[in-house]
Amino acid sequence: MRNNRRSFLKQFGLAGLGLAGADKLISPVNNEPFRQTHQQQFNMHGYAAPPLDRVRIGVIGIGSRGSGALRRLRHIEGVEIRALCDLVSEKVDEAIDSLQDSSHNPDRYTGGEDDWKRLCEREDIDLVYITTPWHLHTPQAVYAMENDKHAATEIPAAQTIEECWQLVETSERTRKHCMMLENCCYDFFEMMTLNMMRDGFFGEIIHGEGAYIHDRMGRWFNKELSTWRIEENIDRDGNLYPPHGLGPIAQLMDINYGDKMDYMVSVSSNDFMMGPMAEKLSATDDFWQAYAGRDFRGNLNTSVIRTDSGRTIMLQHDTTSPRPYSRIHLISGTQGIARKWPLPARVATSHDGWISEEEFKVLEEKYTPEISKRVGQMASEVGGHGGMDTLMDWRMIDCLRNGLPLDMDVYDAALWSSIVPLSEWSVANRSNSVNIPDFTSGAWKTNERYMDIQLKHGGTTKII
Amino acid sequence: MKNNRRTFLKQFGLAGLSLTGASKLISKNNGPYQQAHSQRFNMHGYAAPALDTVRIGLIGIGARGSGTVRRLAGIEGVEIKALCDIVPARVSEAIESIQQFPQHNPDSYTHGQDAWKKLCERDDIDMIYIATPWRLHAPQAVFAMEHDKHVYMEIPAGCTIEENWQLVETSERTRKHCALMSGNCHSGLSAITLNMVRQGFFGDLIHGEGNYVHDRVSDRSRWVRDKSNNNWFGYRPWRVDENVGRHGNLYPQHGLGPLAQMMDLNYGDQMDYLVSVSSDDFTMGGLMEELAAEDDYYKPYVGQDFRGNMNVTVIRTKKGRTLMLQHDISSPRPGSRFQLISGTQGIFRHYPTPARMATSHDGWVSGEEYNALLEKYTPTMTKSFNELVRQAADEERDQLRSYARVNETDWRLIDCLRNGLPLEMDVYDAALWSSVTPLTEWSVANRSNSVSVPDFTSGAWETNERGMDIELLKGGGTTRLL
Repeated sequence: MRNNRRSFLKQFGLAGLGLAGADKLISPVNNEPFRQTHQQQFNMHGYAAPPLDRVRIGVIGIGSRGSGALRRLRHIEGVEIRALCDLVSEKVDEAIDSLQDSSHNPDRYTGGEDDWKRLCEREDIDLVYITTPWHLHTPQAVYAMENDKHAATEIPAAQTIEECWQLVETSERTRKHCMMLENCCYDFFEMMTLNMMRDGFFGEIIHGEGAYIHDRMGRWFNKELSTWRIEENIDRDGNLYPPHGLGPIAQLMDINYGDKMDYMVSVSSNDFMMGPMAEKLSATDDFWQAYAGRDFRGNLNTSVIRTDSGRTIMLQHDTTSPRPYSRIHLISGTQGIARKWPLPARVATSHDGWISEEEFKVLEEKYTPEISKRVGQMASEVGGHGGMDTLMDWRMIDCLRNGLPLDMDVYDAALWSSIVPLSEWSVANRSNSVNIPDFTSGAWKTNERYMDIQLKHGGTTKII
Repeated sequence: MKNNRRTFLKQFGLAGLSLTGASKLISKNNGPYQQAHSQRFNMHGYAAPALDTVRIGLIGIGARGSGTVRRLAGIEGVEIKALCDIVPARVSEAIESIQQFPQHNPDSYTHGQDAWKKLCERDDIDMIYIATPWRLHAPQAVFAMEHDKHVYMEIPAGCTIEENWQLVETSERTRKHCALMSGNCHSGLSAITLNMVRQGFFGDLIHGEGNYVHDRVSDRSRWVRDKSNNNWFGYRPWRVDENVGRHGNLYPQHGLGPLAQMMDLNYGDQMDYLVSVSSDDFTMGGLMEELAAEDDYYKPYVGQDFRGNMNVTVIRTKKGRTLMLQHDISSPRPGSRFQLISGTQGIFRHYPTPARMATSHDGWVSGEEYNALLEKYTPTMTKSFNELVRQAADEERDQLRSYARVNETDWRLIDCLRNGLPLEMDVYDAALWSSVTPLTEWSVANRSNSVSVPDFTSGAWETNERGMDIELLKGGGTTRLL
């Protein structure tokens, strides 16, 4: 693995282009610290892998996300949970217990740092489902693909631009899917607005907004829970979690298949929350002394992206200040606008105000896509953030079983994740703009639209 | 005037620093606009000698100006001395509109492009109010101050960084006030929110958002030229021209002003740098083609380079807070201005209405709690003003269009001048808030790279006392409404 990585970097001329290296290139302003050296070897957009009647799954990481995934996957027809892996054996045991009343009888992988590799190396698995801490996502997805498995990874798929390219290169070479588990693309209003856009309701799209505004202070400063997530906020600054807000907006703008991101800027506030909290806790609990006085990420990050077609996307990230949850989800065009947060969701077609509840219901009736109609109710009963997690898993399995292209591919995973390191670069460079790599190597101009919310194909898999 | 301007530019090393010139200097430090001026006299906190009667001349009696004549005429101690507009009918209509206040007997200035100069040169006027097209604001304000008049002006103040420095330099040298008339926390929810900020309700401030989202173009009736009124149309001929060949946030003050006052910019914190990103234009170009098909007047606008519909600008302050400003006047959507303020203990957000507040992740406070907070934090200035409105019992007031209704900003300006108090907003606020426009234009033209924001206070922001005396702690509040 390590060698693979090194030779990959060398091969594509990316060695040494870490953030620290890029920093030094800035005088005069160099808007392209991350060079585009890879050329597409095979277009994974629209790629349909051979159909699988059964989808045999190994899950790596059985924490909160992993155990949630297991609860959902067992309800999907054709899924066979073959193997579970976690460093902590109790987690694996609990998960196996939870599957007692099901047809699934997975093998255990636990105890060693490299157990996940043995899981990936098995020959009787089709898909590796990755729900580990962030820095493991790319190494594990790449290893899974190298071992002939499709990979589905929690967000973000990658932490660096090099990792993004590595996912793309590996997926193209191995012809294995690499899907990022961006559940918010399957939330109901998000898919309804996508349907409205495709019907021309908003006219031409001008601007979109997305966010991850979710106060996690209480959860992260809790030593009973794992601490890797708070540690991710130290010695780095930017938008660390863009896909939830960005994914649905990118789909509304056909990015990677009709439009492409050109450049972005990113501005962070200082930290006014985490440092003081660590300070306060460390006064009475030695556990927190390692966190006191550290350089924490600024509380509010605002990033603005411009596309080749001249549209703009505004993204925010705030996981620490005391405010209600929001992903914003705003889309604005030449004929109308929709915004989801603050709830309730709204639509307008003029300056005169948002449409009434009755008019909204009419639109809902008209624009609820087939996927929500056919499986929305069942998915909500299974649960997972109101049902969107189940819809996402269901559609992925349905596509794999029917031999269809996935709704989201490795280019989406790479692009949506690349905002993390790109925003870090911009913040570290006085918010100067940074060019966004084109992970499709120009194929965005001819790629067809995916995210088949009308279920033109497939949709045959049952929820059980 | 021309000579004055040229000498000024030379004196401060700003000659030739137009946008095109500036973009060539980018190689270093994001600072195309040099900070060449040093403060000579601190106009922040400056109290001019008290005036019992404030004698006013108004230049530009269009939509804004005609409302302002009516507003100022109804304040105690104001004498409207002179009105100027290139269209004589506007002046006579304005005089007609204030017949109910017999203390005013203004002279008319309507002949020629330079009539406003004659008005400024009179020596029986204390303050000039300016509501002309944008490009005239700074030249007229400078000329007025040079002629020993205070200035009260529509937004924006300067259209370029040079003009804003020129306003600062002139105000400091002449010790004349130069105040913007809108984009502030004088009234309504922004006044209450400012009070909450100062009482610590939101904790330490982290972030603010303010917009000028106001669809001015979709309503086709605004583009029909009025043959009986000089072929004028709703959106204004000169205002359309402002949207050609430039890209940025052309109208930041309404959203920015309240945030700047909440964040104590110019007196406790200062802008450090900003970035600005514009979308393309997706509506104006097509609209011009449609209009040109019906009216030849619009033919020259077909195929022009129209300002991008949506502009997003993010500013970072010296103390590490951020402000996000948006400008969109040409897509069909509900409007918003002062939008959001967020701190370590809570948040306020205005749009979409109803406005909301929260102190945790758990949700917005109930309507009942919200109303109780408004009640508790309504500042003294608002209460005093509302009481004065009640006493004046101007039955017509509520029927007037908003531009014509006397407001807190006008009232407090006159009140401060009559009581010899510092103004709530000074030339540094005018310059800073207005400079955001040319700075965004520079950033947009330079691939959205960041640009350092000039410090118009020359460092005095670190020690300046807080402006905006919403609790009337320094006195005043004595001027009545008629």
